[in-house]
Amino acid sequence: MPGKGPSSDTARETKPAPWAPLLAVVALGALATTPRVESHVVLSRSVLATCIGLLLWHGALFVRSRRGGPTLRLESAFRPQHYVQALVQLAVFAYWGWYWRPVYDMAVLIGAQLIFAYAFGMLLSWTRGRRYVLGFGPFPIVFSINLFLWFRDDWFYLQFLMIAVGLLGKEFVRWHRDGRQVHIFNPSAFSLGLFSLVLIATGTTDLTWGADIASTLTLAPNIYLFLFGVGLVVMYFFSITLLAGAAATVLFVLSALYYTWSGVPYFVDSEIPAAVFLGLHLLITDPSTSPRSTTGKVVFGGLYGTGVFALYAILGAAGAPTFYDKLLCVPLLNLAVRGIDHAVTKFGERRVQSVARGPVHPTRLNLAHMAGWIVFFGVMTATGRTDGRHEGDRIPFWEQACSEDRRTSCDRLIAIEANYCADNSAWACNELGLHHAEGRIVGIDPQLASGYFSSACELRFQVACLNLLDPENRQRAEPRELDLRLLLREGGLNLMQMEESVLYARACEHGWDFACPSTDRAS
Amino acid sequence: MTESEDVTSRRVMAGAGALVLAVWGALELSTWLTPQPAANPRTAAVVLPTSLTGFRPDLWYLPDDELLGFVEIPAGPFTMGSDPSVDSLAFDLESWGEEQTQGRVLLPAFYMGRFEVTVAQFAAFVSVTGYRAVDERALRGPPDHPVVWVSWTDTVAYTRWLDGELRTAGSLPELAALIRDGWRVRLPTEAEWEKTARGIDGRIYPWGDTPDPDRANYRSRATVAVGSIACPACAYGLSDMSGNVWEWTRSPYQPYPYDDSDDRLDLDTEALWVMRGGSFGDGEQHVRAANRGGADPGARRPFIGFRIALSRF
Repeated sequence: MPGKGPSSDTARETKPAPWAPLLAVVALGALATTPRVESHVVLSRSVLATCIGLLLWHGALFVRSRRGGPTLRLESAFRPQHYVQALVQLAVFAYWGWYWRPVYDMAVLIGAQLIFAYAFGMLLSWTRGRRYVLGFGPFPIVFSINLFLWFRDDWFYLQFLMIAVGLLGKEFVRWHRDGRQVHIFNPSAFSLGLFSLVLIATGTTDLTWGADIASTLTLAPNIYLFLFGVGLVVMYFFSITLLAGAAATVLFVLSALYYTWSGVPYFVDSEIPAAVFLGLHLLITDPSTSPRSTTGKVVFGGLYGTGVFALYAILGAAGAPTFYDKLLCVPLLNLAVRGIDHAVTKFGERRVQSVARGPVHPTRLNLAHMAGWIVFFGVMTATGRTDGRHEGDRIPFWEQACSEDRRTSCDRLIAIEANYCADNSAWACNELGLHHAEGRIVGIDPQLASGYFSSACELRFQVACLNLLDPENRQRAEPRELDLRLLLREGGLNLMQMEESVLYARACEHGWDFACPSTDRAS
Repeated sequence: MTESEDVTSRRVMAGAGALVLAVWGALELSTWLTPQPAANPRTAAVVLPTSLTGFRPDLWYLPDDELLGFVEIPAGPFTMGSDPSVDSLAFDLESWGEEQTQGRVLLPAFYMGRFEVTVAQFAAFVSVTGYRAVDERALRGPPDHPVVWVSWTDTVAYTRWLDGELRTAGSLPELAALIRDGWRVRLPTEAEWEKTARGIDGRIYPWGDTPDPDRANYRSRATVAVGSIACPACAYGLSDMSGNVWEWTRSPYQPYPYDDSDDRLDLDTEALWVMRGGSFGDGEQHVRAANRGGADPGARRPFIGFRIALSRF
């Protein structure tokens, strides 16, 4: 049945289970012996230190319990908003990991975080003198965190800290809402937002794989369609269609307006980045921390879309990684929920409800919203705004835009070429060297230029070697076949095996004139 | 706002603040506890000797003479390539053609380094510039041995840096006059290299036409200190033109006949770059003055080093 909420819990009787954390510690210790954890000393030490910490904490609670303190008890409750969400997230991991193997390599570490989350949650509840409700609650928290942020292996203990902070936030940062004491923040979004803020403030964003995670989502072909599909499941069960749909719509509209005004796409190669699309389906849609009213959901989603749009510009202007745009505003929105609900009620929710909903059953209304969302997404896809080929993924487009001095286009061109240079495209490295040697679109920096020429030269790009030898007589050359295989990649499509004729045809389609049949190359 | 809401708000603010501080503190603590690498881990490995006989530590360990080791090679023609009827060890790729196996190449005057660039000299460069691309193994050898594990691009970076340093060094009147006159430190072309190695009389080895293991380091197991094998009979008196290490040149590998202007042709090809002289591990055939080797510009090997030249543009 759709629309199931917390009321549909399958609650069972409470049982004493002082041994449960020990089981978790044993499981965590077992994971420490896996090759993945043993592959890095910090990883194994992080896991072992966590085990010791949990053991000590449990020991203290056990002694307190024996001396007449609260008993260490469990009850089970399996809530749909936990396991449905977890299954959807698991599907995303499975699909994404199929095309980007580090996701599967992360499985053991995600397992370790899950075990930690259970043990930490238990001990936290017992410390607070309450029983622990055993269910699937930790799954969406851990999965959600790992869909957006992983600390690198040598900082992995911060991953445990991130989960602990999420659970502590859920436990301690609470307020009265609709007559109940509830947590304010979505635990994973709270932790992600807080850590993002600290990482940006301390200039330590390179401790994480955040940006890699965001960019590799698109390695999975038709990722938007996939996220849209799994998003429909969440929408069906938890009536968050208006929320996610409003966020997406606002982003699409703002992107379109920006493009019309500036002549270049706002989010380089899509109207709405895949990671943001993921976020608006799975990060902001926690029913407990989002508005309950119809209008409130629309406002909440709209504010998220606006927030992401604004943060992308703000972070970019501040020189911070723009990846964090989707994470930073969620806790603020969570804080605004009560205000949104209050404002909506005050300014006519009742009237809107009476007009919009009338006698319509909420389930039917949600289905109607979903139908609208499906039509909207279909239009966006049909017009190439999602998985379709996007103008922004063509380097010649950015070269042209930069030559016409269109807004931010030269910065984007540099950033795109830097990405390709890092991926060993000699052509891109040589272009970067030329930009830094010419000083037309970036400041002149002969040393940096030499560095880029060296990189390109070592990749056997002859012109770059000559530019390195004689920077006063700089030369350009078209991308080689190998460069095209790198520059034209898209999603999980492997161009390394692509036939040369098909490759050049593809290059021609992407705006590389030299690759078109009428040019010298073909003749 | 009710009193309970006010209390909740204050708790929220205090909780959020405490958590920010906690995470920030944890990060700072982690940074403090984790051993921090030097600003440039590569330069941390650089150990510069306080003195080195025959070299000037105050001038980046260049040879201690008026021209800092540069030896003038006069202008004029020389014979390039090999004639198999004279040199039975010649490789085909040294031949200019079937009818004319060798060519006459006219070169203006230039200066060539007396020695191969040493580990100390390259380490000084890395130390001063913080050059990041260096292979750590390049800095591990004895300071007076030729530097190895350097790519072609590393050598270009070195020459560019040294050129800049010499331009601003004030205590070398003769060298300063040359530099003011438009001379530049750079890698030699392969023609410059070959002329320096075999002189103008077309000899096969720098010392004459027959191999002699007492005059060069080849058929051995390791490099030796530059200049440690005396070769007064060698053309222009330079050391280690044969053996010790292969030496990068600034010429892309092209088939003969040699034409200096060919450098900028065939830009689409993924050229190898010419290296000359053979190395300690090679035999007689490879340490001949006309022998040509080629390698990827990014190749870093334990038997490839370089020598610098001073040429006028």
